[in-house]
Amino acid sequence: MHELPVVTDALEIAKAEAEKRGFKKVTRITLVLGELSSVMDECVQMYFELLAENTVCEGAELRFEHVPATLRCTACGREFPHEKSFDCPGCGGESVLVKGTGREMYVKSIDGR
Amino acid sequence: MEVLIMKKLLAANDDVAAKNREYFAQHSLYVINLMGAPGSGKTTLISAVAKRVGVPVGVIEGDISSSIDAERLNGEGVKSVQINTCGECHLDAQVIREGAQQLGMDNAVVFVENVGNLICPAEFDLGEDLRLLAASVPEGDDKPFKYVPMFSYIDLVALTKCDLKKAVGFDGGNFRKGLGLVSKAEIIEVGDKGASGADKVAEFIKERFIGKTGKR
Repeated sequence: MHELPVVTDALEIAKAEAEKRGFKKVTRITLVLGELSSVMDECVQMYFELLAENTVCEGAELRFEHVPATLRCTACGREFPHEKSFDCPGCGGESVLVKGTGREMYVKSIDGR
Repeated sequence: MEVLIMKKLLAANDDVAAKNREYFAQHSLYVINLMGAPGSGKTTLISAVAKRVGVPVGVIEGDISSSIDAERLNGEGVKSVQINTCGECHLDAQVIREGAQQLGMDNAVVFVENVGNLICPAEFDLGEDLRLLAASVPEGDDKPFKYVPMFSYIDLVALTKCDLKKAVGFDGGNFRKGLGLVSKAEIIEVGDKGASGADKVAEFIKERFIGKTGKR
C-alpha cells in the first residue's frame, strides 16, 4: 500500500548508485518484494514512471522478483515456500508460517551504462 | 552492466525504530504497539488495563484527527498525548519518538494506540517491546485468514467484546485455527468493556515490564 515512499526510496538508491558508478543512464532496476509486503507492482510502476521523469532513471525497466513466505510443517518439520496450499509437500501435514518471512522489500540491483 | 545493491527499502523507519529502542531502554519504558481495526476496542482496553496493571501508564494516542481518545484517557487520570497524522494511515517511528519525548515519562508502561487499521501499521516498526492486536468479536472469526500481514506480525491478541460472541455467531475455533496458521501469539479473551479479561492482559504486561526494567 505504501508504493509512493517505496518508489521514492528506490529512486534515491538507484540514483546514488548510478552516480557512484558514473552511469549516464539506468536501464533496469530489480526490486525484490515479499508476498506479505503489501506492495503492488502496478502501483510501483505507475509512481515510478511519474517520479523517474527527468532523472537518470527515466525510462528504466522495472523488474519485480516476488519471494513467497516460508511455511514449516508441524508434523515433519520440513520448511518450504508457500505456493497455494498450507499442506506439506513431503508428508501432507499441516504447516504454519515461519515468522518474519515473506516481508522482503529491497532494491536488488540496477543495470546501467 | 548489472550492479548488485541489496539495499532495504523504507530503511529510514527501521533506523529510527532502533534509536527508539535505545531511548525506551534508557528511560525504562515498556512500550506496547496496540493495533486493531477502527472500533475494535483499543482505547477501552487501555483504560481497563491501566486501572489494573499496578505500574505507571502513559499513552501516545494516534488518530488521523481529533483528540477524543487522549481527552478521554486524561479524564480518567491516564497521562496521554495525542498525535494527529492528518490522513496518514499509520504511526511511524519518528512520530513515536516525538510522542515519547512529549510524554516525558520514565519507569512506565507506554501504550501506543495506533491508527485504526488492520493493514498498514504492520509495516512500520516503532521500536516497541510488544505488538498487541485488539481483534473484536463483531469483526468476525475469519480475519486471521484475511489479514495475514497483520496477524503474523503481532505477539499477542486481545479478543475484545467477547460478550457479543453469541449475538454475532462467532466461531472461536475458526479464529484460533486461522491465527495458529500464521502466528504463535496467544489469545486473551476480554469482554464487558474490560471487566472480564483485562486483568489477564494487565498481568501479561506487568510481568514483561518487570522483566525488562527490573522495576516493580
